[in-house]
Amino acid sequence: MPPRGQPPPASGPGGPRPAVLLLAPLLLLALQGVAAAPAGAGGTEDSPGLQDAELQRGLLQQAARAALHFFNFRAGSPSALRVLAAVLEGRATVNPKKECQVDLVFTTDHYNREDGEERLGKCSARVFFRNQKPRPAVNVTCTRLIEKNKRQQEDYLLYTHMKQLKTPLDVVSIPDSHGHIDPSLRPIWDLAFLGSSYVMWEKTTQFLHYYMAQISSVNQWKTNDDAVDFDYTVLLHEFSTQEIIPCRIHLVWYPGKPLKVKYHCQELQTPEEASGTEEGSAVAPTELNNF
Amino acid sequence: MKWILFFGALIGLSICGREKFFGDQVFRINVRNGDEISKLSQLVNSDNLKLNVWKSPSTFGHPMDVLVPSVSLQLVKSFLKSQGLEYSVTIEDLQIYREMNSIAGDFPELASRVKIGHSFENRPMYVLKFSTAEGRRRRPAIWLNAGIHSREWISQATAIWTARKIVSDHGKDPAITSILEKMDIFLLPVANPDGYVYTQTQNRLWRKTRSHNPGSPCVGADPNRNWNASFAGEGASDDPCSEVYHGHHANSEVEVKSVVDFIQEHGNFKCFIDLHSYSQLLMYPYGYTVKKAPDADELDKVARCAAKALASLSGTTYQVGPTCTTVYPASGSSVDWAYDNGIKYAFTFELRDTGHYGFLLPANQIIPTAEETWLGLKTIMEHVRDNLY
Repeated sequence: MPPRGQPPPASGPGGPRPAVLLLAPLLLLALQGVAAAPAGAGGTEDSPGLQDAELQRGLLQQAARAALHFFNFRAGSPSALRVLAAVLEGRATVNPKKECQVDLVFTTDHYNREDGEERLGKCSARVFFRNQKPRPAVNVTCTRLIEKNKRQQEDYLLYTHMKQLKTPLDVVSIPDSHGHIDPSLRPIWDLAFLGSSYVMWEKTTQFLHYYMAQISSVNQWKTNDDAVDFDYTVLLHEFSTQEIIPCRIHLVWYPGKPLKVKYHCQELQTPEEASGTEEGSAVAPTELNNF
Repeated sequence: MKWILFFGALIGLSICGREKFFGDQVFRINVRNGDEISKLSQLVNSDNLKLNVWKSPSTFGHPMDVLVPSVSLQLVKSFLKSQGLEYSVTIEDLQIYREMNSIAGDFPELASRVKIGHSFENRPMYVLKFSTAEGRRRRPAIWLNAGIHSREWISQATAIWTARKIVSDHGKDPAITSILEKMDIFLLPVANPDGYVYTQTQNRLWRKTRSHNPGSPCVGADPNRNWNASFAGEGASDDPCSEVYHGHHANSEVEVKSVVDFIQEHGNFKCFIDLHSYSQLLMYPYGYTVKKAPDADELDKVARCAAKALASLSGTTYQVGPTCTTVYPASGSSVDWAYDNGIKYAFTFELRDTGHYGFLLPANQIIPTAEETWLGLKTIMEHVRDNLY
């Protein structure tokens, strides 16, 4: 995923200093793919135009990520996870309260893409960032990547594999230090990513974005009562601060049903922040985004 | 005794032909009686574990040293635990240093291993010097830096692959041959040895050095915020617990100081390339300011060429641009320091991938990454060769 725009400057003990925000008004940008794109408005000596273009591009990336995390969570389907391919176009507006609304169109790829297979989906989204506060409001719709029956089949297949895993699971980290995930444990990774998507969506701001680095422990894995009851600790990598954030996540999943998630992340302690306790739980959407 | 001969035969086990891979460890296993010997021989005997006995005990009570390839670590540990065999891990990080020595040994006319300093925990800092120069003339030189952030394992791996590539292709590939005709190459595969060992033994995601911070429970500084280029400016932290803590003062980290001293003493470096992961970016100064570097236009062109060459192998796409706006503001970085000290061709690579595996890039991507990166590196080095100043 291409890089982001304006992160918070040095976060010292006083917490992140107020960042330089976009003051550019409505800017419509057409961007081309992930490859080195022409950097927008041409540059003068200090290239303010160039900077603006870079900042805009970063903000669009942020919005796309937030939208995708939210989309993945809401779809509730570990076999149909998507990743960002490219931002096609977008525009951002900043209001006097420094809140940021981004409208954008982007393409997605299948998370578990098999070699040779390229199935690009297309999404349009509106993302609303509340000045440095987490939980961006997301409205997103995507074209169908996988036909509905096939997706349900694949989810169910994953589910049956999960039920066959011997408990207690004899694993420490997934992947191991060398990036290896045993094929039999792959469904666990996918489900963990689904749960983490909820957490990463909630935590994403204009400036902070996350990747799932590793499952550091599986605390509980139960598959009685039909649903998968999964309690695990995941290490999230926040890119602009480079911090590793352990999050304990508890999810309940059954194919076709909305995902239920509770979590608690260990935030960096700074004198001004309250000790990080966050809880979110999935509100069962009244309509499943079937497509 | 029979078992000495048995183990002696195993010492001949070669690990060549296996993909050179990091994370191998030497286990020192306590051998107290004949029963434990037979349990051990079971272990060592199994073909698929590919264990290599380094030192067999001459009597009971003396330990056995066994080289355990990284892929067998889990299995061996479980086995030892289940059999009640006591062991400790002795040497870590040996693979890269041994390989460096081996390269220098195999190609003595071209490569030499040079110690430029030591780490906080007193590990040697080794560079490989590639030079066809005779005598003591200080040719214009290229510095390839890797592993400054210890968790970015693809960086150290790419570096050591590149070292082997340089010596193997010299005399065959016109590009590298002509580059080495005019310039020397210095390669530091593990710029942060303490961190690297720590990632293998304690915490796979450790980034910083392992220096102590007086008055703080937190360890280490970010070695890529510790250089004297807008030190302690925007894009670094003064909190020792932060992953981007800049350190007590510029060059406070001995690992950084060793490189600075060497480069300054040499005085004739023209190019400095720092390998990191992840994100697939190719960047040039500045990180510490949005102001355009005087040579930005040229550097941008070179970077785009290099990214194109890199992509030509497997289609891996890299974003190109100045550090500050391409990734984030970062002060005290190696590349900015190099640039501000007259080393014009200063670049940062953020290698594969773009977040799917991140730091934990699977081993099967090491060689493809190294091969494509090599094309990018060559593009840059050729440009330097043709534009010496």
